[in-house]
Amino acid sequence: MDLRVPSGLFFAILGAILTGLGIFAPGMRAPLTDVNINLYAGLCMLAFGAFLLLMARRASGTKP
Amino acid sequence: MKLAVVDYVILATYFAFVIGIGWMLRKRVSTSGDFLLSGRSVPVWITSLAFIAANLGAQELIGMSASGAKYGIMTAHFYWLGAIPAMLFMGIFMMPFYYGSKARSVPEFLKMRFDEKTRGYNAITFAVMTIFSSGISMYALGLLLHLVLGWDFNASVVASAAIVLAYTYLGGLTSAIYNEVLQFFLIVAGFAPLAILACAKAGGWSGIQSRLPANMTHTWKYMGDASQNPMGVELFGMVAGLGFVLSFGYWCTNFLVVQRAMAADSMSAARRTPLIGTIPKMFLPFVVILPGIAAVALAKMTGVGGEHLYNLPTKISNGVVVGDYDQVLTTLMKSFYPAGILGVGLTGLMASFMSGMAGNVTAFNTVFTYDIYQSYIRKGAPDSHYLKVGRMTTIVGVALSIAAAYVCQYYNNIMDLLQFVFGFVNAPLFATFLLGMFWKRATAHGAFSGLIGGTLAAAATWGLTVAEGKGGVFGVVHTFSSVMVQNFWIAICAFSTCFVVTVVVSMVTAPRADKELEGLVYGLTKIKHDEGAKWYQRPAPLAIFVSVLVIVLNIWFA
Repeated sequence: MDLRVPSGLFFAILGAILTGLGIFAPGMRAPLTDVNINLYAGLCMLAFGAFLLLMARRASGTKP
Repeated sequence: MKLAVVDYVILATYFAFVIGIGWMLRKRVSTSGDFLLSGRSVPVWITSLAFIAANLGAQELIGMSASGAKYGIMTAHFYWLGAIPAMLFMGIFMMPFYYGSKARSVPEFLKMRFDEKTRGYNAITFAVMTIFSSGISMYALGLLLHLVLGWDFNASVVASAAIVLAYTYLGGLTSAIYNEVLQFFLIVAGFAPLAILACAKAGGWSGIQSRLPANMTHTWKYMGDASQNPMGVELFGMVAGLGFVLSFGYWCTNFLVVQRAMAADSMSAARRTPLIGTIPKMFLPFVVILPGIAAVALAKMTGVGGEHLYNLPTKISNGVVVGDYDQVLTTLMKSFYPAGILGVGLTGLMASFMSGMAGNVTAFNTVFTYDIYQSYIRKGAPDSHYLKVGRMTTIVGVALSIAAAYVCQYYNNIMDLLQFVFGFVNAPLFATFLLGMFWKRATAHGAFSGLIGGTLAAAATWGLTVAEGKGGVFGVVHTFSSVMVQNFWIAICAFSTCFVVTVVVSMVTAPRADKELEGLVYGLTKIKHDEGAKWYQRPAPLAIFVSVLVIVLNIWFA
């Protein structure tokens, strides 16, 4: 098993949830937060998940 | 703090993934070696991150942000001074013997280098210690979930332990290690946003510096005099106690972390495991300590209406209101995290708990199965029998950890308790390994009497000194400014006593023939140099690169 696949999937799912929340509920704030943290954190996680999945794909392409 | 549906969805997704990883790895387990040692087949990037994650338990996260609020950036010494040098030493100098000797555990290495009684002593004390560490971690989590979310202490302890049990039972060490990597990512994803938000709100590092006393924003500047810095520790106690004895004792001899490196797929990968691990390790203070420091600055800031932005948590102890630093992390999460990211943060906390606990359980497993069961209870059974025992031990280990969690309810400061346990058991151990690996004249009787002497010295130092009104059960010879300083000195005394006793007893007992020590002692072992490999694939240049980085960090925050 290539660990990058499940980790990548996990962060892609988490990122999608948070990004969705950031887009459809942009007004969600905790007392001290001034920014749409769900959106930013979600986008970062999506990017990280995609990166892991891409790396896994590249590795499986070179090895039989 | 109230959780929304989305937070529970994130938590449930995480549980599904950790158990799923265990399920997918279950087919890789067909021998006891697969279950307890990962069959020495794990890629180096995975072992490196697992090496860090197994140590990054919930008590570490909670304790580090608590210490950040209590002591400031000096807490980073637990990383830059108290971890990185020892990790480098382990990778460069000690791993060749651990990996090359083909020992399956640290106690087994002691058996090969010294004798049965040294192994037995180490195996039993280690087994007890891992159970307690795991119990401490579980207690910390249960208490936190109860305080913050109002969840039932017993239910959250049992439920989280059951999930750890499920995935370690299924896939053994490989499953624990693979999950530790996912958990490490999740911890960073859950807490890095908190560090960034809290730090930005407090006006960045310069804003924090302007609001905090100077001795909380410098690591080295106020170390000359114990009364000047918030930890109340002087330079020698810090460098010798934490930077040398405690950290080398932990990172170089604790099977919990060594086991991760030993699971690597080659000698070179095993040596690079702690070296690569140092890179994420040295930046972790910015994720785990910084929020605590920012919290102190935030507590001094006021909003438009003149109210404080944030109040440091307090509790009532013996009728007096005192700071409850262990709650800094969760109160910050409440102030900064709306639903969604709050779920990620909470899941990160769960993940840290699980990585710490799985680390302890898998190390306990291996030591019990190979060093206690196979050595003293039933020798020479077929391997399938030991695989079964390994699996059963997983269940027993988890059950014992739960019991230990209830014992831990009697102690307050978690970090101090951990240091206390390490002081007694781990501190003398490093002297034994140092002499065992680098002095071929060291004998088994020397090592064993050194270990006993060191542990007794630790107990005597603890019993004869007082710190914060505690200790001194055998009388009072000295009073320390804090429990932390006392722990540093317990370690120093234990190490020195062990070192001296081992040398003296070795000189009067018969040495072993050189031939028997091949692969176990420096000078009698051929260490392969990977000349053809790129610089970052070779241990020594990698270590130099890391050293430069950590020196820069130390100077930056000096």
